[in-house]
Amino acid sequence: MNIYQPHLMRIREIIDETVDTRTLKLEFQDSAIAEHFQFSAGQFGEYSVFGEGESTFCIASPPTRAGYIECSFKATGKVTQALRRLGVGDTVGFRGPYGNHFPLETMKDHSIVFIAGGIGLAPVRCVIWNVLDLRDQFKDVTIIYGARTVGDLVYKRELEEWAQRSDVKLCLAVDPGGETPEWKGMVARIPTAVEQTVSSAEDTFAVICGPPIMIKFTLPVLTKLGFPGERIYTTLENRMKCGLGKCGRCNIGPTYVCKDGPVFTAAQMRNLPQEF
Amino acid sequence: MTHRFLSHQGLASLVAQLLAANTRVIAPVRAKDDPQQIDYQPIHSFEEAAIGVRLPRRSLKEYFLPPTEVLLHYSQTKEGVEIREVSTAAPPQVILGATPCDVASLEVVDKVMGWDYRDELWFGRREATTIVSFLCSLADSTCFCTAVGLGPESFRGSDLLLVPVDGGYLANVVTSRGEALLHGFASEATDAAIAAAESSSRAARQKVDSNLEALPADFGGWLASNFDNPLWKTIALRCHGCGACAAVCPTCHCFDIVDEHDTADSGVRRRNWDSCQTGLFTLHASGHNPRQSQSERFRQRIQHKFSIYPSRFAEILCTGCGRCSRSCPGGMDLPKLLLELVTLSQAKPEVSGQ
Repeated sequence: MNIYQPHLMRIREIIDETVDTRTLKLEFQDSAIAEHFQFSAGQFGEYSVFGEGESTFCIASPPTRAGYIECSFKATGKVTQALRRLGVGDTVGFRGPYGNHFPLETMKDHSIVFIAGGIGLAPVRCVIWNVLDLRDQFKDVTIIYGARTVGDLVYKRELEEWAQRSDVKLCLAVDPGGETPEWKGMVARIPTAVEQTVSSAEDTFAVICGPPIMIKFTLPVLTKLGFPGERIYTTLENRMKCGLGKCGRCNIGPTYVCKDGPVFTAAQMRNLPQEF
Repeated sequence: MTHRFLSHQGLASLVAQLLAANTRVIAPVRAKDDPQQIDYQPIHSFEEAAIGVRLPRRSLKEYFLPPTEVLLHYSQTKEGVEIREVSTAAPPQVILGATPCDVASLEVVDKVMGWDYRDELWFGRREATTIVSFLCSLADSTCFCTAVGLGPESFRGSDLLLVPVDGGYLANVVTSRGEALLHGFASEATDAAIAAAESSSRAARQKVDSNLEALPADFGGWLASNFDNPLWKTIALRCHGCGACAAVCPTCHCFDIVDEHDTADSGVRRRNWDSCQTGLFTLHASGHNPRQSQSERFRQRIQHKFSIYPSRFAEILCTGCGRCSRSCPGGMDLPKLLLELVTLSQAKPEVSGQ
């Protein structure tokens, strides 16, 4: 089998997250592959609609839940719009898992602050559930999640679940103007929400993902709180075709997002050429 | 490496035997659209080959990474989707009369094609191919193979390297595959033939040697630390972003993957050549583009070839063939640009405060 050959997966469930963002729950059609498929939190894959092409997303479900994977996407380009036209029972292609992953082994026995904006919650959610499924191996778990408006928040049913858990500290925020009369969360941008929610960086890792502008303004807040760059993890995206280090388009200087990433520390990001 | 002598007649018979056995033989031939130009093409008789006339317009790349190739066939059925795999096995082929720069490029690109995930489509063709290269006496002012560690007599990637001598060729036998190919056609090489070959190799090297000095060992490091140097803004001004340089380049290997319908419910997934010089190459669906301007795209090309690839694979991603300079509509001349960059890299830093 050549390396560009995808596995076939069937859509088991479709969940509409927002007006334009959707989650697909996928299962391998070949039970032998399903049985042996393994991945780690943070890895990505090439998902395809046959006749339309391939697109790169992280695996949004945690490796602790076997038997299926999930991807969340916003209908934006050719492939994502085609993915949106598919229904339950339809077939998609999947190649992966590719890339590195979040170092959960290193994070064990520490506290973790998860920070996400908009659809950036997808890769973070994979790590969150991975940690919550192994909850006793970690100390405090804090989740700070925001979007432009209440309608743009994804994984709403899970936000409710996290809000009810006593072993999770959840802070939800929407941008000023994005709130509804019923909104009980914060009205603030992510950097402010982080400043007001996180009190200490001691023994703590930060996992952050969201729009570049959010990351840009949140990193100084984390630094001020005392997080060293080596303990702040994020995941980068770039346009990819192969996902295997060959097609030559996802590199940031000498660093290949598909092979060296997609997970990087803030310290590593500081050393990258500013071309992403 | 051993030396053998192959007469003109011996080479003609060797090719005739290959063709009789239905082995595909690819050699430089006069281009159909322009007899002044040379293309690597499959030949049907030895007489078609036009070896040592002129550097072929395009490199050997298309015989290993075709401009477009099918990765899989798909068809929609009532039950779902069916995929038909493509074979990664390639029929045996012999390349005859390739220039050393084109042959060396294959070994250079092997590194990325084998990087952790083995591209069986590439290696299937590589393994099915026997390569007979020729001493190159075709250098013009854009050639600079000697600056990137190669030379007109380089046998890197070849199974056999032939050097014209009186009455035929001195065959440098590089691999056992090359030896097997010669079996029954070659005779012992005389000292005189070996000496003649050495002398013409030296002459061929002199022809290209003065075009550009060998790139300094720390050139890649200098490029990496000068990623933000303002020079990139001006250096790329003549670049139109057409991507011709990448199409003719023996080492440019970037590709796109697209699906194509044949009918409403069946079609193929294809791999097509692509180029980092076009604006679409890195464009995200959101509209964000990490390389927005031509200067960033041109910087990527130079950095990839002379800094990134060397740092990852200890290889310069360039064999000095000069095709990019010959085909550039904007008149970008790579050896000249490299000379500029090397000169800059070696300039003493200005002493400030005086």
